[in-house]
Amino acid sequence: MFELLRNSREVLGMNARNLDYVRPLNRRRSREFADNKLLAKRLLRKNGLPVPGLVARIRNHAELDTFDWDSLPGSFALKPNRGFGGEGILIVYGRRRGRTDAWVKANGSVVTVDDLKAHIRNILDGSYSLTNTPDIAFFEERLKLLKLFKPYAYKGIPDIRVIVFNKVPVMAMLRLPTRESDGKANLQQGAIGLGIDLATGTTTSAVVGKSFIIEYVPKTRLALSGIRIPYWNEILRIAVESQSVSGLGFLGADIAIDRDRGPVLLELNARPGLSIQIANLTGLKGRLDRVKGLKVKTTERGILLGKNLFGGEIEEEIEELSGKRVIGSVEKVRLFGKDGKEIVVEAKIDTGADSTSIDIDLARDLGYGKTVDGYLEAAKDWDEISELTRTERWKMFEHIQDVVATIPIKSASGTTYRVAIRTEIEVDGLRIPARATIIDRSGLEYPMIIGRKSLARFLVDVTKRTNTGSSPAKR
Amino acid sequence: MEFSPITQFIVDQNVPAQTMALLLLLPVVATLASFFRQVVGIKAFGIYTPSIITFALLAFDPNGLKYGIAIFASVIVIGMVTRYVLRRFRLLYLPRVAITLSVISFSMLGILVIGGAYHRTGLAGVSIFPLLIMITITEKFVALQLEKGTQAALLLAAETLGISLVGYALISWPSFVLFILAYPWTVLLTIPLNVLLGKWTGLRLTEYVRFLNVLRQK
Repeated sequence: MFELLRNSREVLGMNARNLDYVRPLNRRRSREFADNKLLAKRLLRKNGLPVPGLVARIRNHAELDTFDWDSLPGSFALKPNRGFGGEGILIVYGRRRGRTDAWVKANGSVVTVDDLKAHIRNILDGSYSLTNTPDIAFFEERLKLLKLFKPYAYKGIPDIRVIVFNKVPVMAMLRLPTRESDGKANLQQGAIGLGIDLATGTTTSAVVGKSFIIEYVPKTRLALSGIRIPYWNEILRIAVESQSVSGLGFLGADIAIDRDRGPVLLELNARPGLSIQIANLTGLKGRLDRVKGLKVKTTERGILLGKNLFGGEIEEEIEELSGKRVIGSVEKVRLFGKDGKEIVVEAKIDTGADSTSIDIDLARDLGYGKTVDGYLEAAKDWDEISELTRTERWKMFEHIQDVVATIPIKSASGTTYRVAIRTEIEVDGLRIPARATIIDRSGLEYPMIIGRKSLARFLVDVTKRTNTGSSPAKR
Repeated sequence: MEFSPITQFIVDQNVPAQTMALLLLLPVVATLASFFRQVVGIKAFGIYTPSIITFALLAFDPNGLKYGIAIFASVIVIGMVTRYVLRRFRLLYLPRVAITLSVISFSMLGILVIGGAYHRTGLAGVSIFPLLIMITITEKFVALQLEKGTQAALLLAAETLGISLVGYALISWPSFVLFILAYPWTVLLTIPLNVLLGKWTGLRLTEYVRFLNVLRQK
């Protein structure tokens, strides 16, 4: 009970947010800037910050009547200029086959020009604007989903909310659209919010709905903690710089990651929501108090402060939360071969690779000599081959001893196939079964790489030094 | 209880005591609504709607609660159904609200007629204004439904009714009204009280629940 009361001083409530932060720090002109998306877009772009491209805008009914619908691209987002809470946004993903006047939404339903007109009329009449005043509608280029987020996001694009105060990023949250939120990354509408460790950009805890803590993507066993957000430094930089540009003292910057362009600033919020505290399981007020009064001169300094103050300690925290072990990008690994053979090597932990692979010589040492010979024999006749079906390529290799699968490897020059064996490896004291492909790595630094398929129970911290014991593992 | 000299003076100027009581009670009810928002965390439809509904309930007396709640609920339900029916026509906002208001007016008329047929004239007997007040909350409700969805709008409607009921309990309490008439200056205390509420930065009671998971962290 006493703990609750003591902790309540760390949590930012609605009263304190409005009275102590929004009101004194976000003056009217800056708030206008956050509420007016087109104005913000123009100014942010002028200051060199990446924003989604503007396709077209419709300012009044006259412009709506003369609008050239053929000029619209296949996919776009239609937004109200002064919308809030993600309301009134319509996103289409492509033209309907054989028609230039109809598009398809994420849920498969068709949007015709008439639908667009009705929606835009509603926007112009202010149905979605903050004060129901007449508004402007605009078309924006649609962002493309990053591959990393594909398994986690239902339709729409996840985005990252960063709270910036006094040039310091104080708290961040990754928001995943869900079926309930209809593909929108808005917590009020049912999206999932993931807390983020500010130092590393790795997700920690997760909340769905108002305050329901979850660990996995609904209906799957996909853990929500431990997702490493790419471009993390860049994201923090954009958030902090958008504060300088906008003049908002207390700011929530929404940043999405486009597959091609990288981080893009979506929106600025002068009244950021408070649920971010639940997603992070941490109070915002305590953090704001620690940053208050600091003299932060540069963006870099602010980012560094945020990282040092509100990040770190993630390892134990994550291991505790997710049951995952944190390993470095190079780890000493023990391999278990045939007939009780055990070999320790240094392996590169490569989250960019799908599967685990070992060097031909290493496979021989482990007792898979026959497999290696069989593979080399089968592969000697071709450099590259066109794509085969799973059964066809299995026929090529199934006679080889110990082969459990074939894996196609695509490269610029064409397709080749590798064989995989089943083995066991021990990483950071944890013994896991692994499927390893065999390949000639003689020219490479490490005889083994460990890919994503073997890393489900680990998180990779690139700054962590490997404990290269006494054995000379490097070959 | 004696009237205070102030009250006596005002009544002597031909201001009905009833009117004076209502005007003095309005700040109390408004303060109640602001207390519920800032300290308890119950939002409701702002401050105007709960206050005005409180007085509408009072005007329905002697059957204030029964009729008031029934009419409030039917206005909300009919408003929801109408919105659902109108959705497919894709109308602009104001015409849509106008149609919703019309449908509710017709329904109210229907309810009065049915009540009359069963010799329940208590409702038809009251002044039309509380009824009109109840009907016009539809606009608030429809606007919220559009903004925040049906569920959130229903919750806010329930909160509004809740605050109004508390307000009603207070101002239909004879001793309280007599107290206000005996010491009218006490109403002035609502101003410093609201200043305090306006500076209150503590967590709202509902936020203790909302952030329970955060508060439990060590």
